Amino acid sequence: MSSKNLKYLTGPFSVNNPVIVQILGICSALAVTVQLKPAIVMALSVTVVTGFANLVMSLLRNGVPSRIRIIVQLVVIAALVILVDQVLKAYVYEVSKQLSVYVGLIITNCIVMGRVEAFALGNKPWPAFLDGLGNGLGYGIILIVVAFFRELFGSGSLLGYPVVPESWYAANGGWYSNCGLMLFPPMALIIVGAIIWVHRSRNKDLQEK
Amino acid sequence: MKFNTNSNVYIVVYSTVMVVVVAAVLAVAALSLQSRQYANELNEKKQSILASLVAEDRNYDEFIEARVLNAAGEQIEGADVFTLLNDLPAAFADGKFPLFEAADGRVVIPVTGSGLWGPIWGYVALEKDMDTISGIIMAHKGETPGLGAEIATPKYQQKFIGKQLFEGDEFVSVTLRKGGAKDPAHEVDAISGGTKTSDGVTAMLRESLKNYLPLLESRRAAQRAEAGEVSNVENVADNE
Repeated sequence: MSSKNLKYLTGPFSVNNPVIVQILGICSALAVTVQLKPAIVMALSVTVVTGFANLVMSLLRNGVPSRIRIIVQLVVIAALVILVDQVLKAYVYEVSKQLSVYVGLIITNCIVMGRVEAFALGNKPWPAFLDGLGNGLGYGIILIVVAFFRELFGSGSLLGYPVVPESWYAANGGWYSNCGLMLFPPMALIIVGAIIWVHRSRNKDLQEK
Repeated sequence: MKFNTNSNVYIVVYSTVMVVVVAAVLAVAALSLQSRQYANELNEKKQSILASLVAEDRNYDEFIEARVLNAAGEQIEGADVFTLLNDLPAAFADGKFPLFEAADGRVVIPVTGSGLWGPIWGYVALEKDMDTISGIIMAHKGETPGLGAEIATPKYQQKFIGKQLFEGDEFVSVTLRKGGAKDPAHEVDAISGGTKTSDGVTAMLRESLKNYLPLLESRRAAQRAEAGEVSNVENVADNE
């Protein structure tokens, strides 16, 4: 893999991150980050969709009538999302139930269409595929970080396993209590905000003058 | 050869071909995964039924006998239980009531209702006396995590075990009381911050279990008659 191609893949992890730099895909980041497990599955699902949507649209790019290109993009993305949804229902039924409507809502995730429109229509299939994967993973990293904090402080567990000792809880005579606010979507927004803050303070060139 | 990709003919042909191809791909995928998805759903229902009986290690097909009752509590033939479970509110409205009988004499009754944000449902297992709750499983579509969604946790469901549906001969169901249960036989603590969901569970239990009253009452009467005969015999013996 050439260094240019590698940059397509890794750029969205940090300096070009779709969530914390481009502020895309916030809606689903609020919805599926209460627990770590659905967040991980969502991250993988979005990565598959962005990767293959970019690949397919890049392969089609010379034949797509530009007047209906947005419709074509939507059809391709929607078809991919339905495929992912069907596969999840067949193979990881429990998780697909937790994600419920949010898998279907990947269709409306701005990252997918944004990358197709901005990158895949003007680039060869391989770089487009890498760009799609990179953006999906960049989105996924943020999702997982947010879900880590929300599950840890909101439910006292990680991936469903309790990590806060039972004896700490007030109900058992301890001093600790889970932060109920963490379970609500606004807390995800605040955590995303905190991540953006830290990220910008470490990447000076992202700061507006 | 270079097409004019913006001519009307090209656009119409392009979109037609695209739609047909996508439809074919999705149809193939849906059909090939269908049996697996159906098996998942069926398995989930069977596991829920066993879980409500606290008998997860038993084999469903050997342990449980499913049947469908009408409003009078009589068995009706020819209705598939699991198809009915897919839309339980409609099945109840239609006068069809699925029931699961365990080999040890307990019964499992499916219940359905509404929480704060969407549907809630569950399975209530009753002891042989058709009165005491031996276990309960509840699930929900989208109750608030940490609040209403607590109804789906084993810790909360444990509180229902041993509660009684009848006060003497009267059906009183089980109530989730805000501020803590006062009547240990028929009340459970409501969830703090999940009042609407708790009210939904109370209504779900009362309304759904009501449908099975003819069956529950006839069985209770039969058991009483049996018990009565025994005590009569004892009385006679005492008199002599």
